[in-house]
Amino acid sequence: MVGAALSLPMAGALDNLQRLLQLPRRFWEQAQEELFFLPPFPEQIDSLALFSLLLVSGLLIGESLHVRLRWPRLIGYVLAGTLFGPSLLGWISIEALGQVRPIADAALGLLLLEAGRRLDLRWLASNPALLRGALADIVLSFFFIYFFATAVVGMVPAWAAATAAVTMASAPAVVLLTVEEAKAQGQVTERIILYASLGSAASFVLFAVVLGVVHTELSHDWLNAVVHPLWVVAGGGLIAWLVSRFALAVAGRLPKRSLAQVFILVASALFAVGLARMLAVPVFLTLFLMGVLLAFRDQQQVLKYTELPEVHWLLAIILFVVIGATLPWREFTWLTGLYALGLLGARALAKVAALYWSGGELAPAKRLLVGVGIQPLSATAVFMAYEVAGLYPAVSRTALLLPLFAAAIMEIAGPALCRLALVRAGETDGARTETGGKQ
Amino acid sequence: MSGRLGDFTHSEALTLGVELELQLVSRRDYDLTRGATDLLGALDYDGHFGEIKLEITESMIEVSTMPQARIAGIATDLRGLRDTLVRHCAKNNIAICGGGTHPFHHWADRRICPGERFDQIYQRYGYLAKQFTVFGQHVHVGCTSADDAIWLTQALAEHVPTFIALSAASPFVDGVDTFFQSARLNAVSAFPLSGQCPPLGSWLEFVAHFDFLYDCGIVRSIKDLYWDVRPKPEYGTVEIRVCDTPLDVNTATALAALAQALCRYLLRTRPLLHAERWQHVARYNKFQACRYGMEAMLSDPVRRCQEPLRERMLALFDALAEDARELDSTAWLDALRAVATEGEGGAVWLRAWQAAHGNLNDVVREAAERWMQGDAAAA
Repeated sequence: MVGAALSLPMAGALDNLQRLLQLPRRFWEQAQEELFFLPPFPEQIDSLALFSLLLVSGLLIGESLHVRLRWPRLIGYVLAGTLFGPSLLGWISIEALGQVRPIADAALGLLLLEAGRRLDLRWLASNPALLRGALADIVLSFFFIYFFATAVVGMVPAWAAATAAVTMASAPAVVLLTVEEAKAQGQVTERIILYASLGSAASFVLFAVVLGVVHTELSHDWLNAVVHPLWVVAGGGLIAWLVSRFALAVAGRLPKRSLAQVFILVASALFAVGLARMLAVPVFLTLFLMGVLLAFRDQQQVLKYTELPEVHWLLAIILFVVIGATLPWREFTWLTGLYALGLLGARALAKVAALYWSGGELAPAKRLLVGVGIQPLSATAVFMAYEVAGLYPAVSRTALLLPLFAAAIMEIAGPALCRLALVRAGETDGARTETGGKQ
Repeated sequence: MSGRLGDFTHSEALTLGVELELQLVSRRDYDLTRGATDLLGALDYDGHFGEIKLEITESMIEVSTMPQARIAGIATDLRGLRDTLVRHCAKNNIAICGGGTHPFHHWADRRICPGERFDQIYQRYGYLAKQFTVFGQHVHVGCTSADDAIWLTQALAEHVPTFIALSAASPFVDGVDTFFQSARLNAVSAFPLSGQCPPLGSWLEFVAHFDFLYDCGIVRSIKDLYWDVRPKPEYGTVEIRVCDTPLDVNTATALAALAQALCRYLLRTRPLLHAERWQHVARYNKFQACRYGMEAMLSDPVRRCQEPLRERMLALFDALAEDARELDSTAWLDALRAVATEGEGGAVWLRAWQAAHGNLNDVVREAAERWMQGDAAAA
C-alpha cells in the first residue's frame, strides 16, 4: 500500500546507483563463467540486510541527536528515513519500503497493543474529569480540523471529515516511546497516555465511518459504503476477540511474568497482525482493540504484568525509519506546508483548550502540559491516510497531502513537544537536579 | 538548659500520636510509582484527621494523626486519613498500601521529593536516601516531663523486639524472600546514627550527649538521630520507631494501644533499669526479632539466659491487662495477643499470597486491596 501510494521514485538516484553497480556486475558475470556455484548478480538487497541497514542508520542518527542535543531518539529515526528515503538520497527504494512493510506493521501493531492495554477504563469510571477532558479533546479536535479544512483549505466535506478523522488523535506509539525513553512517571504522564489512547479509539471509529462516507461521495456505491466500515470494525473486532482469548487461554497455563508468557504475548500480536493483513483490516485498529480486550478480559491478571520485551525498540526504529522514508517531501509546496501548519495550529488549540477547560484535580498549568504532551501525530495517521488514499488513488492524492504533511511536521515536533511537557511537569528521570556526594 | 535542642514541650501524660509511611503504587503493575507531590498538590482535605505530608521519595506518603488521649481517637483518625487518601488516590489511578518494604521495586528508580531537608539528606547519604524507601510506623507517647521521656526511652529499649515482631510485614526485598520477617530495619541500619540511645539517666545527660555529637559535627538536629526509640522534645513525646507499617489500620491502631499501655505500666511500676546491660544485647535481640519474628530467641542480659520472644510477649500482655482496662484498649491488645499466639502476622500473610499467586505483583495488589478495603478486610 505504501509503495503503491508513492508513485514518484527517485529515478535520478536509481540511475546513479545502476551506474555505480555496472563495474561489479561485469566482474561478477565474468566470474560466473568460471565459478558455477555463484548465483546471479543480486538485483535487490535482501530483506534482512535491509532491516539491519535501516536499524543502523536510524540508531546512528537517533543516538547522536539524543546524546548531543537531548532530542528524543524518534526524531533521529524519522530523519534517517527521510534522508535515505525516496524523497532525498533514494537509498531506500519504494520496493524496499514494501519489503519492510510487514516489520513496520508488526512494530505499529505491538505499540498499539500496548496502548490498548494501557487504556484503563476503571480510572475513567472513578474520575469524571478525565472523561470530560477526553470528550472535549475528541470533539474539539475533530471540529476545529474539519472547519479549518473546509473553510480555509476549501476541501469537500467528505475529505475534510477524513482529514479530521485521520489527524485528530494523538499518536500513542510516539507517546509511549517518549515516556519510556524519558522514564517519565506521574499524573501528567498518565493522563497523556490515557488521552492519547482514548483519542486513538475515537479516531479509529471515525475512520471507519469516514470510509463509508468516502465511498458514498466518490462512487455512490452504497453497498461498499455500508459493508466496508462494517468489515473494518467487525473484522478488526473479531480478530482481536479471538486472538486475545487465545492468548489468555494459553498464557494462563504458564507461570506469570515468565519468558514464555512474553513470547505468547508477542506471538499472539504477530498472529493478529498477520490475520489483519490477510483480511485487509487495518493493523492499528485490530491490535489496539486486542490490547483493550486483553486488559478488560484479564480478570485473573494472567498477562497484566507481562511486559513487551526490549526488542520492541528495534521494531520501533524500523517503524519510524519507514515512516520517515514514506513521507512525500518531494511533493512539498509552500502552500500545502502552510495549510499543514494551520491545521496543526487549529488542532493544538483544540487540544490545549479542551484539557484546560475540562477541569479536574490537576492544576491548570499541568493540564496545559497534558495538552502539549498529546500533540504528537504520527504513525497511525500516516497509515490511515494511506488506507483512505488506497481506495481512490486517482482522486485522493491532493487531499492526502495535507494530513501527510501535518504528520511529517509533527514527526519532528511531536516527540519534542511530548518530551517538553514531561520535563516541564518534573516527571522525567533527572528532571530535578539531584546532586549527591556533597557533605 | 536545653541549648540547641530547645525546650521540651509539655504534653499530657500518655497522649498518643501515630505516623504511618505508606506506599504509592501504580494500579497497572503494582510497582512503586512517583505520585506524592502530585497527590498533595491536588489534595482537597481540611486536616480534620491529622496531616498528610511528603516523605523522602516520591513513592511514599506520610500520614500523622492528631494527638489523642484515647486509642479510639487514633482509630478514628487513622480510618479518616485512610479513607481520604484512598478516595484521592483513586482519582489519580494510584493504589496505596501498607507493609514495611515494597517487595520488588528497584530502588535506583526512586525520585527524591522536592524540599530542602530531602535534598540535604540525599546529598549527605547518597544512595542510602533512595534505599530508605521503606515504610514504618512511629508511635508518639506524651510525657509530662523531659526526664520521663528519657527514662521511657531507656525503659522501652528492651521491648523493641516485641514491637518489631508484632508489626513485621516486610519479608520481600528486591523481588526475593529475605527469610526475614522484617527486612525494613536492615535499610535503616545502614545509617550511621541508627541503633539505640546510649544509657542516659536524665534530660540533662541527654542534652550534654546531643551537644557532644553536635560539636563533633555528627548531628545538626534531633531528626538526625535514627534511634529505635528517641525523645521528641518538639512534641513532648517519646517516639517508638521500629514498627513496620502494618497491612491495615487496625493493626496500626493496636500497636499504638500497646505502646500506650506499656508506657503507662512502666511509669506506674518504675522497674529497675539495666540500660547498660541491655545495650550489649540490643542489636542481637533486634536481629532475632527481625529475622524470626515471633519465633525469635531473645537474650536476657540481667538473668544471663535466653528465652522465646513469644513467651515474653504473652507474659507482657498479662502484665498490661490492668493498664489496658484503664485505657479502654483491652480489645486492641487482645487482637495483638492473637497475632502473637497464632503467629499470623503481616509477613506470614504476605508469604501466603506469594505462595498462592506465584508472583509479587499480585501480592502487592492483595496488600493494596487489604489496605483500601478497610476494616472488614482487616478483621
